[in-house]
Amino acid sequence: MFKLKVADAKLLRDMATAISILVDEATFKIDPEGLKLRAMDPSRVAMIDFEWPKTIFEEYVCAEPTRMCINISELLKLLKRASKDEAVELALDEKTARLEIKITGKYTRNFTMPTLEASEEEVPTPKITFNVKAKTTTQGLSQAIEDAQLVSDHVRVEADAEKLVLNAAGDLMGAMITLQKGSDALLDLEVKENSKATFSLSYLSEIIKAASATSDIATLEFSSDMPIRIDFQQTKEGKLTFFLAPRIETE
Amino acid sequence: MPFLGVNLRDIVPKAAVKLEDLSGKVVAIDAYNALYQFLAIIRQPDGTPLKDNTGKVTSHLSGLLYRTSNLIEMGIKPIYVFDGVPPVLKAAEIQRRKEIKVEATIHYEKAVARGDMVKARMFAQATTSLKDYMKDDAQKLLELMGLPWIQAPSEGEAQAAHMTRRGNADYCASQDYDSLLFGAPLLLRNVTISGRRKLPSKNVYVDIVPEVISLDAVLKQCEITHEQLIDVGILIGTDFNPDGIKGLGPKTALKLIKEHGTLENALPHIKNAEFPHPPESIRQVFLRPTVTDNYKIEWKEPNVEGIVDFLCRQKDFSEDRVRKALEKMQEGTEKQKGKTTLEKWFG
Repeated sequence: MFKLKVADAKLLRDMATAISILVDEATFKIDPEGLKLRAMDPSRVAMIDFEWPKTIFEEYVCAEPTRMCINISELLKLLKRASKDEAVELALDEKTARLEIKITGKYTRNFTMPTLEASEEEVPTPKITFNVKAKTTTQGLSQAIEDAQLVSDHVRVEADAEKLVLNAAGDLMGAMITLQKGSDALLDLEVKENSKATFSLSYLSEIIKAASATSDIATLEFSSDMPIRIDFQQTKEGKLTFFLAPRIETE
Repeated sequence: MPFLGVNLRDIVPKAAVKLEDLSGKVVAIDAYNALYQFLAIIRQPDGTPLKDNTGKVTSHLSGLLYRTSNLIEMGIKPIYVFDGVPPVLKAAEIQRRKEIKVEATIHYEKAVARGDMVKARMFAQATTSLKDYMKDDAQKLLELMGLPWIQAPSEGEAQAAHMTRRGNADYCASQDYDSLLFGAPLLLRNVTISGRRKLPSKNVYVDIVPEVISLDAVLKQCEITHEQLIDVGILIGTDFNPDGIKGLGPKTALKLIKEHGTLENALPHIKNAEFPHPPESIRQVFLRPTVTDNYKIEWKEPNVEGIVDFLCRQKDFSEDRVRKALEKMQEGTEKQKGKTTLEKWFG
C-alpha cells in the first residue's frame, strides 16, 4: 500500500519536471520513510539523485518498501492540469498495478495510469574528490548559463580563490562570465585547487532551469576534467542533486 | 529474406532505444546480415538493384555508406564482423536458401514478363545473394571510412557475440535472434535499417525503430538458463535445423523446456520430433562456436577523397550526396570528441 498527498500541486509538478528532463521512465524506491529516485539519462552523461522524506507530505502511507516505475512525462501531463493550490493525491493500486492521481480543488479529477516494470538497476555514486565548492543563487546561475548559450553549446567552468568563471567559445563568438566572490550571485566559494572542466550547455541549462523552480540556492562542486555535482537546496526538506559528466578536450 | 534465424520474437522482452542514446557505444554489426538487408531493400520500384555502369550491384555500398555514416554521426562506433566458413551443420540450410533463390528468379522473370512490378520487386528481393565482389567492395569501403572489420572464422554473429562478451563491444547488432543463442549479452535490432519499411508482400508500412534485447532479461522473464534458451531455439528451428519441429511455436517450445528441463527430456512428449543432426551437435554450435581472439579494433580518420574516388568515379554515386553524408559524419564525430559518461567515475 502506497499513498501520498500534497496540499500544493506545484511541489509534485516541479519534481516531475526536474526528473523528466533526464528520464522517461522513472523508478521510485518507496519505503516507510519517504521516496527516492536515482537515475541516469539514457546516454549516461547525467544523473539525478532525488529524495523526499515523508515529512514533506500532507499525508504519507507506505506499509512496506516497494519500487514503482511510471512514465514521468505522462504523469507530468496530468499534473499540469492542476492549478497552484489544488491538492494532489497519488495512490498505487497494487492489484491492478495502476497509479491513481486525484486532483482536488474547485472540482475533483480522478486519473489513473499504468505503472511499468520497475528497473532493478542500482546507480552508484560517482567517486570524485571535489576541489571547488561554489554556492550560487539559482537565478544568478541560470542567467550565466543563458549568457554562455548565446555563443556556444558547451562551457568551461573555472574557479580560483577569487572567482568562478564560465568560459564559452563558439565558432565565431566568445563569452566570459565572471562571478566574483562576495557578489550577489556567488554566495560562497571554497577552492582547494584551481580547477576547470567543460560541460554541455544543453544539459546544464535544462537541469538548472527545471531545478530552479524548486530551489533558490545551488551548490556546484567540481574538479578538473571530472563530473560536476550540482545540489539544489530544497525549500522544504529533501534532496535534489545532479551529476553531469564533462567533455574532455583532447589537444 | 534469406536470413530467417530462430524466431524468438514472441517470447523476448525488448525495449525501444534511440540511436543518439547509443552515443559512445561500440556496436559489433553482423556484416552479412546488414549487407543482405541493404541488397534486399535498396532497389528500384521494379526490383532492380542499384548498379554501376559495368552492371555491378552497388545497393549494399549505398546502404553501407549512408547508414554507417548516420551511426557515426550519432557517436556510435561500429565494427563490422564478416562470416567465414559456415558450420558443417548449415549445409542443408544453405542448400535450401539456394533453392529458394532459384525459384524466386523464375518467378521474378515471369512477373517482369507480364509487367507486374509489385510482384517483380517482391521476388527480386528473394533472389538477393551476396557475391564475393560485393563483399570485397564492402570491405574496401569500410577501410576507406576508417572503420574496423573483422573476419570471423565461422559465423559472424557468433564472433560478434564473443567480442561483446569479452568487453570489446557493448552491443551486437543483427536482425537474427540467433545472436542471443550465441550468448550476445545485448542485442540491437533495426540498427542498420531505419524509418518506414514496407511489410513483405503487403501494401502496409510500419515504423521500424531500433530496439535492444538483453539476454539476461530474456532468461529472467522466461525463467530459463542460456542452455535452455538454446534448446527452445532448436525446437523452433535454427539455421542448423531450419524446419524445427512441425507445428511447434515459440510459446509451446518454451513451455516444454520449462516443464521438462532439457530438450532430451522433452522429446518423448513431442510428436514428429525429427532433426537433421543430433540436437546435441546443434547445441554445441551455439555453446562452443568457432571464434577467434585474434583481431584488432581501430577507428581511423576517413579517407574522404578515397571514398569519393571509389564511390563516385568507379561506382557512379552522386558526388554531392556522398560528400554531404561524409561532412555530416565528420561534424558528428567532432561533436562527440571529448564526450564522457558518468560510468567512467563509478570505479
